[in-house]
Amino acid sequence: MINNLYLYCIAEGHVEINFGNIGINGQEVYSIVYEDLSAIVHDLIVEQEKVEGENLNECAMKHAQVVDVAWKKFGTILPLTFYTVIKGEEGIEPAQNLKNWMQDDYKNLKQKLAKVKGRAEYAIKIFLSTKTIGTLLIQNDPEIRMLHATIARSPKGLAYMYKQKLENLLKKKIEVEAEQYFNDFYKRVTGCVNAIKIEATKTVDSDKQMLMNLSCLVQKKDIIILGKELDVISNINGIVVRFTGPWAPYSFV
Amino acid sequence: MKPMKDRHATLVDLLDRMLDKGVVINADIIISIAGVPLIGVNLRAALASMETMVKYGVMQAWDEKIREDANKAELKKTEMLSS
Repeated sequence: MINNLYLYCIAEGHVEINFGNIGINGQEVYSIVYEDLSAIVHDLIVEQEKVEGENLNECAMKHAQVVDVAWKKFGTILPLTFYTVIKGEEGIEPAQNLKNWMQDDYKNLKQKLAKVKGRAEYAIKIFLSTKTIGTLLIQNDPEIRMLHATIARSPKGLAYMYKQKLENLLKKKIEVEAEQYFNDFYKRVTGCVNAIKIEATKTVDSDKQMLMNLSCLVQKKDIIILGKELDVISNINGIVVRFTGPWAPYSFV
Repeated sequence: MKPMKDRHATLVDLLDRMLDKGVVINADIIISIAGVPLIGVNLRAALASMETMVKYGVMQAWDEKIREDANKAELKKTEMLSS
């Protein structure tokens, strides 16, 4: 059995600390320091710990909790990706391997810490109800209204053809609306954040489309301003905003 | 609008970050355990199947069954009391 180190995050500051048994599977979490950096870890014996099945969810939650505790204590941290394990080798302790890496990567780590200092990550997902936008277009768009009226007074066969034409036109118009919304919302959000990443959108359901999926790095003082901008966006008919955080800056490290 | 951080309601946002992002060490000091890279995949699959279950009413059927059983028990109790 080889001892390894499970690494949660790299924190700014030279602080030797033991957080107690707050880690994954109740492991003891402590810091390993190099210069003015502290790595937050727990000892891991690979053969003993299994991260699989039902246990996974709990492990992920624990990982996030430890990162949050360290974040609160140190103020500025770089979270590691889930399940980063530093190995030990013949004659080299894992702690030494970790310190060597911190030494080699010191400049890079310091630059990243400076970038996220005093900032936190927030997730913004904006959804568009195609049903609501479609209904509004039917009510207000002259071209669509005209086609709609034509269907009403056309014989059955012709009406079917016009209906298909209407569906295509409506789809196109919804796409144009969505693009305009995207540009407008993006401008509003970028105005109050330090950095932004456009993430891939996901399928929600047939009536609701994810219009934007953003990760934003935000200064604490700007959260209220961002919240106000999101209020403006969410007040638009057919638009739903989901705003979560603060998260450790996973997307900006 | 204030940001939400309820652990359960925001689990997907958290996992999206933890599994795909964060500092990645590109050095040979990282252990590679068979199956570890699959953790993310497994976790997502578990979550997706839960969502699908809810969407397609598996949970609903289960909920209805529980209610039905409870109603039956209640009825039995009433019958016993009245007899």
